[in-house]
Amino acid sequence: MSTPVLAKPAPEPAADPTVKARPTTGQRLTSFMPVIALVVLLAALTVADPGFLSLNSLTAAVRTSAPLVVLAAGATLVVLCGGIDLSIAALCSLATVFFALWLPDLGGLTTLAIIAATGAIGALQGVAHVLLRIPSFIVTLGGMSIFTAIALVISDAGPIRVADRDATHWLTLYVAGVVPMSFVVALVVVLVVSLALALTPLGSWVRATGYSESAARLGGAPVDLVKVAAFTLSGACAGLAAVMLVSRNFSGSPTMADNLLLPAVAAIVVGGTAITGGHGSLWRSLAGALVVTLLRVGLPIVGVPSAYEQILYGAIIVAAVALTLDRSKVLIIK
Amino acid sequence: MSLRDAGPPIALVVVFGIFAVLSPDFRTISNVQNVLDAAAVLAVVTCGISFVLMTGSIDLSAPGIMGASAITVALLVANNRNDNDLGLIGVAVAVLLAAALGCLSGLALVVLKVPSFMATLGVSAVGLGVATLLFAGVQPNITDPMLEGWAVERFLGLARLTWIAVACVLLGWLVQRYSRLGRYAFAIGGAEEVLALSGVRVAPYKVAVFTMAGAFYGLAGVLVTSQLGAGLVQAGRGYDFSAITAAVVGGTLLTGGRGGILHSAVGVLLVTVLTNGLVQVGVSPYWQGGVQGLIVVAAVAAAVIPQRRRNQVTK
Repeated sequence: MSTPVLAKPAPEPAADPTVKARPTTGQRLTSFMPVIALVVLLAALTVADPGFLSLNSLTAAVRTSAPLVVLAAGATLVVLCGGIDLSIAALCSLATVFFALWLPDLGGLTTLAIIAATGAIGALQGVAHVLLRIPSFIVTLGGMSIFTAIALVISDAGPIRVADRDATHWLTLYVAGVVPMSFVVALVVVLVVSLALALTPLGSWVRATGYSESAARLGGAPVDLVKVAAFTLSGACAGLAAVMLVSRNFSGSPTMADNLLLPAVAAIVVGGTAITGGHGSLWRSLAGALVVTLLRVGLPIVGVPSAYEQILYGAIIVAAVALTLDRSKVLIIK
Repeated sequence: MSLRDAGPPIALVVVFGIFAVLSPDFRTISNVQNVLDAAAVLAVVTCGISFVLMTGSIDLSAPGIMGASAITVALLVANNRNDNDLGLIGVAVAVLLAAALGCLSGLALVVLKVPSFMATLGVSAVGLGVATLLFAGVQPNITDPMLEGWAVERFLGLARLTWIAVACVLLGWLVQRYSRLGRYAFAIGGAEEVLALSGVRVAPYKVAVFTMAGAFYGLAGVLVTSQLGAGLVQAGRGYDFSAITAAVVGGTLLTGGRGGILHSAVGVLLVTVLTNGLVQVGVSPYWQGGVQGLIVVAAVAAAVIPQRRRNQVTK
């Protein structure tokens, strides 16, 4: 057995019981970071273009954000367990192809079939991760290229038109004439999963797994099952996001969602969920996804060429991970 | 030589033999030349990533860095967009830019303590952004005879690109075998704590490893530009994953401390032979990525079996 060697002996935490769990100002600030960023961005965009704070453009913005919110929400669960799911975007693309191919046969059931299928694929990745003991980013990186290959082969590397628009029509409706249905669905997903985490032991199992997997195991949490469940939900969310994309683009394509991976990862880390696991929530990813979407629609308004978008994502990811990382946990960063 | 080291070369021979039996087109001299030429770019990328994997980190920045260097070199040598004609200096600038981007990953890792897969994902996005900015909507086609010649002119039956790749592998092997950087890269992957406790300042070496990897990706971007005759933002698309596949198949452990340049070179040949052979026997080229994905998962799973009992925690 190898035990981690500490360069300096850790200070005795039990010696002084009063130093317990009072967040510093810095920690408080980072925990509100996504909301602050959201407000600042909104204000900045309104200053740059007073017309931005209109109902129309805000509705359009939340409507664009819906698939991103769903993708990020699902992957957040995996991150909370201490892993990462890099396959969400590729799986989502594959699901758009499935949707376009299955719709003529399955009709109204296609949406459910897609979510079930992507959930099963996610579960498969989870099982590979826990049974074969392969790091999650390798499993999902492998998954990413496998899903892309399958999507390319079955779609013949081109977009497939979705002729029957009734199946996805409900997603294009507006609740109370204002709020896009797809965004409402995204909110419901976040709400339901958050409630499930809060009201059942699931939440503490997920957090325990993320904070310290070996401790969670010793404490009797079903770590392996929790991880597989997280991957399953992440996959199912990718499927739902795919249905939303199809409802907007009226086609399925093997690369449709590929450019959503970075924004989704950015949404998670900007929300303040620690990449080391344990700390974070789905609501944070919702806020993060809105921040990312505002940046996306906002950059052209301020007159910044969209090429800077990529650079910004890169910088944001690195900065946000650096701010939210749980340094007490990792002695050596690989 | 242990069985573990002998495995990949044996697999290479076996896979080669199987395809040679299955396909008459595969077993021609010209196809073997094709395989070697096709392996060139991947070999250079894998040289870079091998050092990173040796230290136990991972690098996903190849697509971004290659894109940035591909556009840069296309704009600096003779091309249809501007009047530059810097030749080899242009190549050097592109490689330096790539090394700087690699250095950025290393700094994010050791200074900001961002895990390497996140840091390099970020740097990849930055590289793609830089490439898109430089691209500016008009594709730069190169007219530089030297760079164009690299892909076309042959020496001893192989394209010049291939010889450059061979030189890179040799250089990488010398660095790994005889330089302090190479030896420490192994040691960092094997037992970083022990190395740090013995008084070695680990951080600069980690940054150096990422910088060197960046330089290799930069050169690979230049080679792709030479092959395509134009600078493309997507020049490095998929190379990160292919290179990880090649390194892992060659016997490099993702946990670090095992493997090396020569292992990776065998892995590159294995991946390229497999790609070429599958196409020759009639499998759709779209399956390429899928096959690599399966191989990586299988190879990593096989590599962790001996440590199953010890590694109770996988992230």
